[in-house]
Amino acid sequence: MLKLVTCIKQVPMVSELPWDAKTGTLKRELAEGMMNPACKHALEAALLLKNRHGAHITAISMGPPMAEEVLREAVAMGADRGILLSDYPMAGADTLSTSYTLARAIEKECPDFDLILSGCYTNDSETAQVGPQLLEELNIPGATFVDQFEIKGNTIRMNRTVDEYLEILEMDLPGLITVSTHQYNPRYASLSGVEDAFNRADITRLGIDDLGIEPEMTGIKGSATRILDVYSPTTEKKNDVITGSPKQIVEELFAKYDDKIGSAIGKDLKDYE
Amino acid sequence: MDFNPCMKHKMVRKTVREFAEAELGPIANDIDRQASFPWEVIEKMRPLNFFGLQIPKDYGGAEMDSISYAITIEELSRVCAAIGLCVTVHNSVGAYPIQLFGTEAQKKRFLPPLACGERIGAFCLTESNAGSDAGGVETSAAPEGDDYILNGTKIFVTNGGVCGIALIFANIENSGPRPESRVFIVEKETPGFIVGEIEDLCGMRANPVSSLFFEDCRVSSKNVLGGSIPGLRIGLTALDTGRIGIAAQALGIAQGAFDASVRYSKERQQFGKPISSFQTIQNYLAEMATQIDAGRLLLYRACALKDEEKPFSAEAAMAKLYCSRVASEVTGLGVQIHGGYGYSKEYDVERYFRDAKVTEIYEGTSEVQRMVISRSILTQLT
Amino acid sequence: MMIKSEAPSEKTSKTMNKSKKKKSRQIWVFGDYRNYFQNRVTLQLLSKAAELAQKIGGEVCAVVFGNDIEEYIWEYTCHGAEKVYALEHDRLSDYPIETYVNLMEIFVRQYQPEILLVGATSFGREFTPRLAKRLKTGLSADCIGLDINDEELLVQTAPSFGGNLLAKIVTPKARPQMATVRPGIFQEIPHDNDRTSTVIQLKMPENLPRERVKMISSSKSPSRTQKIEEANVVVCGGRGMGSKTKFKKIFELARLLTGEVGATRPVVYSSWAGHETLVGQAGKNINPKVLFSFGISGAIQHTAAITNADFIIAVNKNPNAMMMKLADVAVVADANQICTALIKELRNRIRA
Repeated sequence: MLKLVTCIKQVPMVSELPWDAKTGTLKRELAEGMMNPACKHALEAALLLKNRHGAHITAISMGPPMAEEVLREAVAMGADRGILLSDYPMAGADTLSTSYTLARAIEKECPDFDLILSGCYTNDSETAQVGPQLLEELNIPGATFVDQFEIKGNTIRMNRTVDEYLEILEMDLPGLITVSTHQYNPRYASLSGVEDAFNRADITRLGIDDLGIEPEMTGIKGSATRILDVYSPTTEKKNDVITGSPKQIVEELFAKYDDKIGSAIGKDLKDYE
Repeated sequence: MDFNPCMKHKMVRKTVREFAEAELGPIANDIDRQASFPWEVIEKMRPLNFFGLQIPKDYGGAEMDSISYAITIEELSRVCAAIGLCVTVHNSVGAYPIQLFGTEAQKKRFLPPLACGERIGAFCLTESNAGSDAGGVETSAAPEGDDYILNGTKIFVTNGGVCGIALIFANIENSGPRPESRVFIVEKETPGFIVGEIEDLCGMRANPVSSLFFEDCRVSSKNVLGGSIPGLRIGLTALDTGRIGIAAQALGIAQGAFDASVRYSKERQQFGKPISSFQTIQNYLAEMATQIDAGRLLLYRACALKDEEKPFSAEAAMAKLYCSRVASEVTGLGVQIHGGYGYSKEYDVERYFRDAKVTEIYEGTSEVQRMVISRSILTQLT
Repeated sequence: MMIKSEAPSEKTSKTMNKSKKKKSRQIWVFGDYRNYFQNRVTLQLLSKAAELAQKIGGEVCAVVFGNDIEEYIWEYTCHGAEKVYALEHDRLSDYPIETYVNLMEIFVRQYQPEILLVGATSFGREFTPRLAKRLKTGLSADCIGLDINDEELLVQTAPSFGGNLLAKIVTPKARPQMATVRPGIFQEIPHDNDRTSTVIQLKMPENLPRERVKMISSSKSPSRTQKIEEANVVVCGGRGMGSKTKFKKIFELARLLTGEVGATRPVVYSSWAGHETLVGQAGKNINPKVLFSFGISGAIQHTAAITNADFIIAVNKNPNAMMMKLADVAVVADANQICTALIKELRNRIRA
């Protein structure tokens, strides 16, 4: 039976961001969490494999204790097990130390995995780096932004569209893919699944001692980058305000921006009369 | 690891909301206007256990607790009350009485198709001369060998047009001056089971509410719910549970109207400011939010009592009485906040406003709820 | 153009010694030439590297791997590379990522650049994190700003939450300082045939590991039916269009502009338009050259998905709507009326 690992991140729900209108900043501590959408697509891909071939799926997440929620959601959708890496020294990790920590946990908890599936990027930090860095850390082959794939025996064949090229790739397992959001639309969790995810789910929480890793290697200490400042970009552009009757407005729009609009649609919109 | 019920309830809400907004949101207005039942969405709801909310796992249900149940109905109704109604009636008065009173054979036969939504359930008590007064039921069941022959007419049957299994409340013929009542489990294919025309109602229009006619409808005695359990007892218990569902539905409607009103009040500009910056609107919103919250507390208390297997009849009645009033008032204020647009079918509040009213009427009118509540007060020892 | 070629190993090290004397710090730009000429991010990065090089007394270097790369060495020189590290080999013809990572790791360790910049193309976003991991250095993604601070550190401005938050990131100790950079952010230096560069011909290392991912096929993706994410013109409509019937004009305008229709959540929610048109959270992110926005107030879940739009024309009755502040052109008027007037005028002009 295939042994699959899906990496899942909890991200703040954008529609519910408690946005401070005055300062333009995010009160992140108040935001509702949700499963990162691309991670959900990766999980769906794993669940389809499970439905077709039978598979054991371990969902793994690193984050604050609250991130337990997305693991339970993964179990509700059909994952078999959840592992939450949550420990004070793990906080503030960049992708370098996140991939390090995830790799150690996977080695320890699912050493004989066949395939790791992660989302192609997260909606919060948007780095798309953890997947590719994790495959390096585990020294396994892998590919990013995979649209669709198929497993035959010990090989996986993958389709993806990168930089306007349709690529078909193949590699031996074990390996890692990051899954794009183009296919694999995630299923809804069933209500019975939700009930089970709380009554009989196998969710383990691990800290650095459980993983046997040094505090220097994880979290902010294990990170190579430092964040100097986070701010909201000034949204007010110096813009061109146009008023008047509809006819005047449209005339003015074309007088000023016919080139701009015309070049975008590849047509000449100049009025030669 | 701690079992955290709050996290579970949050996830139930999130799961149902996601489904409702994505699948029912886009069609809620259309199916209301066309009074059409969205089978394609029902198809998607089946594998997600919406039709077996509290049915035990052994029979294919989700075996949820009552608060999760209420949350599910709330969230469906927040987007589309007619489907919230379909689901709550199916679960609370269609399937639950079988679960509670059915013989093992009846449970094995009827619960699985109900739990997977292959058959939609309905409960038929109301007749043209019997509504609040259950004693006035005229539908009769005449014993004939091992069978009963049903004759009579049931009206305002929720899910009537789409049900596959209906529970029929009837009196046994010639059973004396105080007739013995029974509840019969009748499948829609049974000869003599006739679906009447779909009612043209003010709200909940996507639910095919209809009359059901029984003309010499032959039903086996195996289909008498619970064997010899009096129908009245089943009916009253079913209604207690049903009230939790209707309270949840009313709350969901109120919440939907409230959310729409908050959104609108922030967008709508008058005198160069969003109307939410005016104190009058702020007062309305505060009033709506408080009522909804109070209703929710009443409702969840009734649910918790039910799960603890304590008496919850009066508490369910209070929740139903209050939440349905909240639905009417909040949707009314919602229309008011929307102004002229609120009276137009372009905006959702108009539908919420129409849907809300009936929650004060069906599953026991507000007047009946007060009767239940006052009876409980007056029979307590002082 | 003059290209001074140098032989690999010995002479290369001579160059290195020289540069060490000058304490020249190198800024490397990875030569991502797939889809060149459309993909111009390498040229944009060379230009930015030149600006950064002045601040740290550095040298702008392009690194280019491949088979038949003469053309790119020339282009990069004309666009500002002072030195080009080039490796030509027939193993490198179809952009093999793993091999590129292996090679780059070797050469970075050998030459120790201070900064390494890569375009945030799909290729760059797989290649660069893998490389950074091997080098155990920091990397920020899809940057939209680069600068040097007082401590001579590369300050990388990376977007998050769909551009609603920006983070300034540095890599204090590890080297090189690495960033992938969003295409189209920086202006390239105009092509200049008179520029010169030193070309270092790199040698294919021996015993380079085999590529573990096999490329079965690679083809330019056929022109599919246009997707909203890829459309040059998107016409988005919101509740301010007034009604489902009036919203149909959005479709008409989009058709005239050979663009795609976008919609906000309330519009989709009210089924004025289908779910596939939803722009925003739970919907699509768009990248048009021109975005028309009609009657949209600009809630965060919508605006997060339009930050890549090059030019925004917004129409709204409320001049203070968030959408109007985001726009390049803010038309204060009734969205429905302007939409109608635009359709009429466009019909005239397109016919002409």
